[in-house]
Amino acid sequence: MNYADKFKKTFFTENPVTGLLLGLCPTLAVTSSAENGLGMGLATTFVLLMSNLVISLLRNIIPNRVRIPAYIVIIATFVTVVDLGLKATLYDLHKTLGLFIPLIVVNCIILGRAEAFASKNTVWHSIVDGIANGLGFTFALFILGAIREILGSGAILGFRFWPEEYRTILLFVLAPGAFITLGFMLVGMNKISKMLEGK
Amino acid sequence: MAKEESVFKVVLTLVLIAMVSAILLAWVNKITREPIELNKRAETKRAVKIVLRGLKNIAYPEFPEEMEVDHSPVKYFKAVGIRGVLMGGAFIVKAPNGFSGDFEMMVGVDSSGLIIDTYVLDHKETPGLGDGMLKESFKEQFRGKRLAGTTWMVRKDGGDIDAITAATITSRAFTAGVKRALQAFERLKKEGQK
Repeated sequence: MNYADKFKKTFFTENPVTGLLLGLCPTLAVTSSAENGLGMGLATTFVLLMSNLVISLLRNIIPNRVRIPAYIVIIATFVTVVDLGLKATLYDLHKTLGLFIPLIVVNCIILGRAEAFASKNTVWHSIVDGIANGLGFTFALFILGAIREILGSGAILGFRFWPEEYRTILLFVLAPGAFITLGFMLVGMNKISKMLEGK
Repeated sequence: MAKEESVFKVVLTLVLIAMVSAILLAWVNKITREPIELNKRAETKRAVKIVLRGLKNIAYPEFPEEMEVDHSPVKYFKAVGIRGVLMGGAFIVKAPNGFSGDFEMMVGVDSSGLIIDTYVLDHKETPGLGDGMLKESFKEQFRGKRLAGTTWMVRKDGGDIDAITAATITSRAFTAGVKRALQAFERLKKEGQK
């Protein structure tokens, strides 16, 4: 397995969000700021890494008929670990992401990787796959959050571009802004993917 | 892979997976319970310090007491001076019917019932709109006001409070929350005089 290629794929051509259009619920909901996008992305990356690891370890033990319930139990366990862990360490971040953390369970990227990759590949490859997809997801969420925060709040990660009194394009921190920004982002990412493939 | 696994094996694997999960979660829950509790308490403490700033020589309890205003629970830290005189209080109230449900806020009041400051503890209001209530430009109008002499409604509803641009619902909830806290203080004061 060529790692550089693998990461290039999960960041651009097969990015879970902009390439495969998976996991759009958290993508649209939490990206009102770059920090939230980053936090959600990293939390999901952790769950993806751990669930891929455990599921590939157990891939020959879990009976085929009950594999989905088994995967869900494993994924839900790690999501709860993240939920409690964040609450104990990064309390303020947990307060903003709080509502969406439990929903990582139903993020189809995670179940998708379990079903399509971890259940058929070795532990090591599944770990790499988990990290690559997780970071690809984080990358997409961070860009989306950054664009929305700059346009909608005039700031990014605490750095202000213009004073607080100035009017910003409020639409971008609201739900419609998420859809609009995602649309433009898909255009851009498709262009980049085409360029990468055309080489 | 065998086509038909025995029911026994299917059940056993699921039970085992669930059991290992439960043990892991019990352990994580045990080691995170204390830090989470501490984080919550630390935030409340920080908030009390902010909303009661400027009051000298006061003492307030480690844990809040509770009462009810308008059928809604209000937690409060009673600040007392020398010889137990009521010097003010920090009130944790639920601001009712925000844009995304109730939110929790703290209001600090001095001995004459004037607001020192407000602090939002936990909210889900829209970022960029409703969270304007955290901004100085909105908060400052509450300082120095007391229950009497102010109509506790936003201007749109015929009151004296300037709402946040494009977030009237949040402003209404915030204003109602402040009013509750002030009513709670008046009640404390009356009880003290008995």
